[in-house]
Amino acid sequence: MTTLTTGPEAVRLPAPAPAGGRRGRWVSIALFLLPALALFLLLVVAPMLVALYSSVFRWNGFGGLPTDFIGLDNFTRLFTSEIFARDLWHLLVLVVLSVGVQLPFSLAIAMLLNQRLRGRALYRVVFFAPYVLSEVITGVLFSLILSPDSGMANQVLSVFGLESEWLANPDTVMPSLFLVMTWKYFGFHMMIYLAGRQSIPNELVEAAQIDGATAWKTFRYVTLPLLGPTIRISVFLSVIYTIQLFDLVWILTGGGPSHASETMAVTMMDWGFKRSQVGYASAISVVMFALSLVFALVYQRFVLRRDLEGAMTSQGGR
Amino acid sequence: MKRSLVSAAAVLLLAGCSGSGGEPAPQQGAGGSPAKVTLEWWHLSTAEPLKSLWARRAEQFEAKYPHVTIEATVLENEAYKAKLTTLTQSGKAPDVFASWGGGVLQQQIDAGLVKDISGDVSAVLPTFTPAALSAYQVDGKTYGLPTDIGLVGFWYNKKLFEQAGITQPPATWSAFLDDVKKLKAAGVTPIALAGKEKWPGHYYWAYLAMRIAGLDALKQAAVDHDFTKPDFVAAGQQVKALADLQPFQKGFLGAAYSTPDGQSATVSNGKAAMELMGQWAPSVQTSSGKGLGEDLGFFPFPAVEGGKGQAGDAFGGGGGLTVGADAPKEAVDFVTFMTEMGNHSEAVGSGGVLPVLKGEESAVKDPNLKQVATLLASAVGYQLYLDQAYPPAVGQQVNDSVAELIAGTKTPEEVGADITEVAKSEG
Amino acid sequence: MNHGKRRRRTTLPLHAIALVVGVFMIMPVFYALLGGFKENSELSANPFGLPETWVIANYTDVLGSGSFWRQMWNSMFIAVITTVVTVALSALAAFVFARFAFRGRELYFTLFTAGLMFPFAVAILPIFVLLRTLGLLDNPLGVILTQAAFGLPLTIIILRGFFRGIPGEIEEAATIDGCTPFGFFWRILLPMARPAIATVSVLAIVGSWNNFMLPLVVFSEEASWTLPLGIQQFQGQYASDTARILAYLVLAMVPALGFYAVAERHLVGGLTAGATKG
Repeated sequence: MTTLTTGPEAVRLPAPAPAGGRRGRWVSIALFLLPALALFLLLVVAPMLVALYSSVFRWNGFGGLPTDFIGLDNFTRLFTSEIFARDLWHLLVLVVLSVGVQLPFSLAIAMLLNQRLRGRALYRVVFFAPYVLSEVITGVLFSLILSPDSGMANQVLSVFGLESEWLANPDTVMPSLFLVMTWKYFGFHMMIYLAGRQSIPNELVEAAQIDGATAWKTFRYVTLPLLGPTIRISVFLSVIYTIQLFDLVWILTGGGPSHASETMAVTMMDWGFKRSQVGYASAISVVMFALSLVFALVYQRFVLRRDLEGAMTSQGGR
Repeated sequence: MKRSLVSAAAVLLLAGCSGSGGEPAPQQGAGGSPAKVTLEWWHLSTAEPLKSLWARRAEQFEAKYPHVTIEATVLENEAYKAKLTTLTQSGKAPDVFASWGGGVLQQQIDAGLVKDISGDVSAVLPTFTPAALSAYQVDGKTYGLPTDIGLVGFWYNKKLFEQAGITQPPATWSAFLDDVKKLKAAGVTPIALAGKEKWPGHYYWAYLAMRIAGLDALKQAAVDHDFTKPDFVAAGQQVKALADLQPFQKGFLGAAYSTPDGQSATVSNGKAAMELMGQWAPSVQTSSGKGLGEDLGFFPFPAVEGGKGQAGDAFGGGGGLTVGADAPKEAVDFVTFMTEMGNHSEAVGSGGVLPVLKGEESAVKDPNLKQVATLLASAVGYQLYLDQAYPPAVGQQVNDSVAELIAGTKTPEEVGADITEVAKSEG
Repeated sequence: MNHGKRRRRTTLPLHAIALVVGVFMIMPVFYALLGGFKENSELSANPFGLPETWVIANYTDVLGSGSFWRQMWNSMFIAVITTVVTVALSALAAFVFARFAFRGRELYFTLFTAGLMFPFAVAILPIFVLLRTLGLLDNPLGVILTQAAFGLPLTIIILRGFFRGIPGEIEEAATIDGCTPFGFFWRILLPMARPAIATVSVLAIVGSWNNFMLPLVVFSEEASWTLPLGIQQFQGQYASDTARILAYLVLAMVPALGFYAVAERHLVGGLTAGATKG
């Protein structure tokens, strides 16, 4: 993905030969690069290989390395597992809701706060604030608020006769989870859109208005296309985040009630740490990784190709 | 032992540092008094009366053995299981930790994480009741000492039962189902259940499987990895028959056990007529809600007509303390100290635990707990909680599948098949 | 005149929308803040009103407990060391990637950027196994090094981009003045890169401060718990004492929100730039 930045411009940096000659140069390169490389290979690359390796064993995780080789059994078990099918379904639901509801909402609010509105600076600060709070704080807070019996949400909504069982009911748990995710993350996407909008020259927008375009048409035909790269990045971040979704779900529901909000990462933790079937859990993580990778490659190949500048990351988007 | 050497070295080093001040180094050289030892103790008694009692016990032990410091880590049930699993997978175990025995303990033994204390405790072994001790003995070796043993049964609200016109607690399963209907008809929520924490739900299936298939069949199933036999399906059908009556409180699928709107509090605050729970139910009720006082009653899990199991068979567990493989010898001293007659019967008297020592029965004061102790003493067969008796993956699957059965997302046949599949995957 | 008047009228619905969203955003935190001062029994009867009597015990109990401060200290220690390690190692590597031409450079760089696609959650099990083998479980280093390793790709990319923007003439001049490569890096490049370093530090600090999954599996002993672990455990332990949990939550929010209040611009800039640029 970020290999994009090694485009044409990469050519123009033949660094001046530093003092010390050829050999000294290689020594400095090695000294500067090795620490990072070693840490990266040890704790990022090696674990991925270990996961791949242990996914073909039956292993309870105790003691040295696994020995009971069972081929692809973990994977066949996984692909026939109903829980895993539901994980994928939940992923799809959350992606559709995020891309279809949360991001448009963030965009709308960003456009709103781009107006000369009194107090908009304050709104911006408040809307972004939850993004700074940890998933654990958010999760615990909302599990108290959404408690069906004594929670604050139902106290408020009972005035309108609109109580819900929120996280306690398989039918309402996904929308409730999505509500919490929106509370926490929409401000982040809003900020990205605001930054994107502010990089669009105002002259373009004003020109359209002078030509008599309505506000909607200006947005639709001028602002929106120019925001394209920003939107494509925010969609990417949102999807990658959803594939790995763990903290919030673990705290809010633990995947329940009866698996109605379980995600792949929750299933993996459940089997890996609660049920001591580390081999099977590794198979889940391998599939998660493959899914992220395929998505990233396909998205980059077909969607992001146009945005040469638009290198992005999966980590900052959490 | 190794650890105490290390701490001895540490003390010496520290003494070397402060020695410049001219103070005599403490501990060392004082006529052979032992080196300082820290005992890590993990347990899950977060509810009174045990919470304070255990803390006091640790202080008493420290007073008796001044060179010992006890560092207690007290975790709530779910967190305890999760953290302990992670710790043991990392190849370590606390010096002293609470255990239910069974398949989970077996796995820890296999991994070489718990100490065989047979030799150290041989003198006190005869003081325990065999039933309590059995969970901690594997292949003739003792790996821990029990602190509690009891059984699971129905804790009910006498007033609400009366209100529904029920004069006698049900003795048979069909009478039980009838009573559930009566309670519903009277506008009372019959049963509270913590659906989020799946273990309370598995009691229903386990008890019904014991009553219908029999104790031996349940034990056999774990050996030959087959939970699909007609009797197990029948047990599932009875769970479903109960769930179909919609007897549980509103939002039970998301309810926890000990939270302010959890299973325990719902009964404790008179919002549901009963719960199926172990011997700790009354003390948790007192801390989670208002408490029922005199209105709280107990009745054993009813017999199932035509079932192969005996009505006297009990299902439950207790608790005990096991010792980590690398623990200093003081760890064993602490475990025996905790289970001494005087100390333990005080815990029994407080209502926190039930007798594990012979001749301790008289210490039980609460009439309900007395009933539990009597039932236990006369129990014909005994089955440990399935989620502890079986290996973790299988036990968790039982919990999980039963939860799905109760939620209506799985059929009784699928439940049997799912548990079987996981049991087979354990190899 | 006319124009201005019309504008004022049309912004009214916009204000209304912003206000509604604002209330939705702020209500949970407000509820927690006030709730911490209430009796449990008052919480459900009076979720938003001021407490009938201000119970400060919930807050003072937490502030007076050793575990809260220990968790705070652990979180802070781990965040700071993680940031230092990440930024130091990344800056050195980024320097090489930006200012040296050598065979295999693009290959190594691509290797690092590919690291962006390893979601943290995916690697958690093997990381656990690996840390166990290295004896780094229940050791802050286990969390610090892992976080640093996963922070490298993004940090390297951002810093490399910045280092490349610095004109070659400066380096030539420095070399002529007798600067070694490291001298140039240490005395000239790093000071110039302060804004970029601020950005990557913000990312590292926030990421580490909020991390839950890794400390969850690495730390079993209470003494090494970070704040997120402490919060989760506190919720379990005081399950029946909602007001006390709320107080704990509010106090745990203070550092993050305080940091946000002080360094709002850097924080927003860093977090969004970290995600979108690089």
